[in-house]
Amino acid sequence: MKFKVGLTALAFAAGLASMVPAAAQEKPSSLGLGIFTFTSGPAAAYGMPGKNAADLMIDDFNAKGGIEGVPVKPIYVDEAQGAQGVIAEYRRLAGDPKNQVMVAALSSANCLALAPIAEQLQVPTVGWNCDTHQLLIDGKSKYVFRPNGNTIPEFIAYAIYLLDRKPDVKTVAIINPDYAFGHDGANIFKAALKALKPDIQIVAELYPKMGSPNYQTEISRLATMHPDVVFSNLWGADLENFVRQATPRGLFTSSQVILALGETILQRVPLPDGVIVGVLGDGWWMSPDAKANAETAKFAEDYKARFGEYPVFPSIKMANALIYVKAAYKAAMQKNGGKWPTRAEIADAMKGSTVATLTGTTHTRADNDGLVDQIVGVTVKSPDKPFPVIGDMVRYKGDSLMPKADQDPIAWISTLKPEFVKTLPKPGSYK
Amino acid sequence: MSNTVIPLLLDSLASAALIFFAAVGLTLVFSVLRVLNVAHGSLYSIGAYVAASICLFIASRQLSPYLSFVALLFSAVFVAAILGPLIERTLIRWTYGKSEAVQILITFGLFLMLEDLQRMVFGVQSLYEDAPVRLLGTSQIGGVVYLNYQIFLIGMAVLVVIGLRMLIRHTRLGRLITAVVADREMAQSIGIDTNRIFILAFSLGVFLAALGGALAMPTSGVAPGLGADTMVLAFAVAAIGGLGQIEGAAVAALIVGLARVLAIYFVPSLDAVAPYAAMLVVLLIRPYGLFGAVTARRI
Repeated sequence: MKFKVGLTALAFAAGLASMVPAAAQEKPSSLGLGIFTFTSGPAAAYGMPGKNAADLMIDDFNAKGGIEGVPVKPIYVDEAQGAQGVIAEYRRLAGDPKNQVMVAALSSANCLALAPIAEQLQVPTVGWNCDTHQLLIDGKSKYVFRPNGNTIPEFIAYAIYLLDRKPDVKTVAIINPDYAFGHDGANIFKAALKALKPDIQIVAELYPKMGSPNYQTEISRLATMHPDVVFSNLWGADLENFVRQATPRGLFTSSQVILALGETILQRVPLPDGVIVGVLGDGWWMSPDAKANAETAKFAEDYKARFGEYPVFPSIKMANALIYVKAAYKAAMQKNGGKWPTRAEIADAMKGSTVATLTGTTHTRADNDGLVDQIVGVTVKSPDKPFPVIGDMVRYKGDSLMPKADQDPIAWISTLKPEFVKTLPKPGSYK
Repeated sequence: MSNTVIPLLLDSLASAALIFFAAVGLTLVFSVLRVLNVAHGSLYSIGAYVAASICLFIASRQLSPYLSFVALLFSAVFVAAILGPLIERTLIRWTYGKSEAVQILITFGLFLMLEDLQRMVFGVQSLYEDAPVRLLGTSQIGGVVYLNYQIFLIGMAVLVVIGLRMLIRHTRLGRLITAVVADREMAQSIGIDTNRIFILAFSLGVFLAALGGALAMPTSGVAPGLGADTMVLAFAVAAIGGLGQIEGAAVAALIVGLARVLAIYFVPSLDAVAPYAAMLVVLLIRPYGLFGAVTARRI
């Protein structure tokens, strides 16, 4: 008898044990999202709009029942603490199974540091900014995704737009921040110019330290070189300072200036007309596609009401990244019969996905890199906004400016011919 | 050639003026109190934040933009009057006669607190108001457009050097400070109120730091992180000039300014290291700095 009871107990225990995986896939009480951005330091000028957008989007998700019925609980990590701190925070958050997905990170350096850990811990990690093309270059990533595209199409787009708008350009000067993003951006832009208009001369390359408050000497140096074009991918407070210091000193009138991240300061700094600016992707909240999307218009107005400014493209990148995460849950649950997905199932759902965003679509390639369109234009006065907006726009198709997944990006750029420019849409064609 | 030389010299002077303002308060405080104030950079950025806030207030109320010049000076006085005595009495006084390690730990703790305080009070976005720059306009020199405000800053730096020299050498307060610097115990024994001198000297150091931040604000704005950058540069300048040497700080600022500008003009990749390379060279030749002297350690 005792033996029978023991067997029954054993069978019951075994039954319970067999139920554990199923139980693990029941909906949790909340879904933790680790969200990495800069909330302090000079980079907060770029990072805070991302956090603001995350707050807004997550509140909106939760007001509608969360993601697949589970309320979302964001846990913010400040990237200003440096890579070691960011890695430690990532490991801590990943250790809690409730935090199924990480939205990390803004800084390319932090993304590169986190990528191997994401693979090791098998945590789906969505680079909401992470522009560096080096992130997914080996094509082997299983858990790291970048829905918002990379530096290759972002900076080729500026070279093409410049050559269309100013075909007689002879000399170019570059002033970029002194870290990977600044140097990568310069190398891609130079490589594209060299391929598409080989006679262009680079007359100065300046790489001021990130966080420099004063650019007066750099502005003097640029002025003494009299370049036809000044290209910059400075950002955050650095970009604001550079523009404020360069404007009264006539740099914007003596040269055609390209500010790759210029859209982020349109509402904060009076930029003159005719500066080439873009959004490193398609995240311009006033683009024709965005205006036609009621959800985007609502997001922009809600953002303005809550934070006092309209969103800038880092806000849109964050919002689109969260839409991407939400879509992955939906797809994963459709695939597994409505059960709460595991981390592996979420990553699987992201692979190869095509997701409609606030400003277009993002398609995830086999190497987990996102294909998004590139919008570039120039600053123009707005009839209904008290700040300049982007006019004379072009929208390049995402795949037209990207090498294939297994190609070396810089080598691919060098294969481009001047005729390539003629095959693409022209400035002003995106209305 | 002149199209490069004149901008190069002018840029060096303008850069040196800003660097001098960042360092002179640090070196003054060290000369009198023998305390290396690691929180000096935070006082610089607080000066900039207060100046930006007052100038933005003036602009928002559409008051005369010329008031912004008064605001720059007032901000420095305000910060010095509040924080100078407060910090000296509550924290710095406990470090007198203690080891350098204790002084650095305490002032570093203060630096961290002040940095967080700034974020809480002023937020994380950059603040900026350029009314003084707009009022002074621009000039074309050597084929390059300069802000007249940059030239104004050079003049202000010269005025501060002369003013401090006159204060130390030709006023009663200056003589009292000199006596305390020369021999603290002897000064006390002849009836000098050294506590008062310490408060005044520290507050003067805070004033100079805050003035530097306030004067830099119209051209460079102020954002979180400014304090840390300023502190590092101020240490380099103070070390080159010789800790505690005001004229040394002026000459060191010129050297660092010139080194940085030469790097930007001719070897841009060395821009960030140029000030520290200059410091290394000077300290290899003169370990106590250009104007510093070997002092005997009391046992």
